[in-house]
Amino acid sequence: MAEKIDLKEIERKAYTSYHQDGLIDISISIIVLTFGTMMVLDMAWMGGIFAVIGISIYAAAKKTLTVPRIGFVKFASYRVKAMQAIVIEVLSLFMLLGVVAFMQSEGGGTPSWLLFAFENHMLVIGVSVAVSFCAAGYTFRIRRMYAYALLTLTMFVTGHFLNYPLHYYLISLGTLILLFGLAMLIRFISRYPLSTTGSTGDSGNEGQ
Amino acid sequence: MKDNKSRDDELPSIPKLDKAIHEPARLMIMAHLFVVESAGFLFLQRQTQMTPGNLSAHLSKLEDAGYVEITKEFIERKPHTALALTKKGRDAFKQYRRDIKQIADRLPE
Repeated sequence: MAEKIDLKEIERKAYTSYHQDGLIDISISIIVLTFGTMMVLDMAWMGGIFAVIGISIYAAAKKTLTVPRIGFVKFASYRVKAMQAIVIEVLSLFMLLGVVAFMQSEGGGTPSWLLFAFENHMLVIGVSVAVSFCAAGYTFRIRRMYAYALLTLTMFVTGHFLNYPLHYYLISLGTLILLFGLAMLIRFISRYPLSTTGSTGDSGNEGQ
Repeated sequence: MKDNKSRDDELPSIPKLDKAIHEPARLMIMAHLFVVESAGFLFLQRQTQMTPGNLSAHLSKLEDAGYVEITKEFIERKPHTALALTKKGRDAFKQYRRDIKQIADRLPE
């Protein structure tokens, strides 16, 4: 009987159920969308700030929407540390993108490797973002992150050849992920309504 | 009878399974708590799909065995029940898995 208990599958289901609210998708889309929007407004250097805002929104929404409906869980610390590493990596990535965009706007003194990256920025950004999605999918065991990675790669590789501005793809990608996240959130809220008695259902006293 | 006795002599020693864990519902509870650091009552109920009363009853037995630690506290004026395996519980679960595997390996094809 115990052999049929797949602990990895149980852990994966725990992660999946905790993230079925779509909030991580919405938060990611906010970060991507705001970065794209800031590029349109020629304020790409502010993109990193919105990454912090996106994460804050995620934490607050989790506490308000998710925990009262499905309870809270504290995952193993090694995964929390991996998650922190992912967040730091994503923030660093956006800060780097901001620096690149700022240097572009200044128009001079750029090293050759940076020039190469800049000339192929669609591919560089696409691969970086796709790798981040894959890392998140592996760490959090959320399989749809791999789909986002594939979507990102497809869009940015296409964009490299079509030569449209970067922000078009960021806004498109962010919008798609946002729509999916909102759909998941609506489904989650309808599936797990709050208790009408006002209890969080987490007192553990039920049935006693 | 003689045949039964000789067969009994030939049977390998089977480890005694921990009865606190060797019950489907409690085994499921232990498995779910094993993969996390701690969880709330509601989260565990959702994962195991047990009724609140049933879950409470099995948690009490596991708590009596010293395998689960149940902490009740108020966070922002709302009651929260945190459930976590104790070190004894984690060790017991690992031992249980070893015992079950040992039994399964010795069973004839």
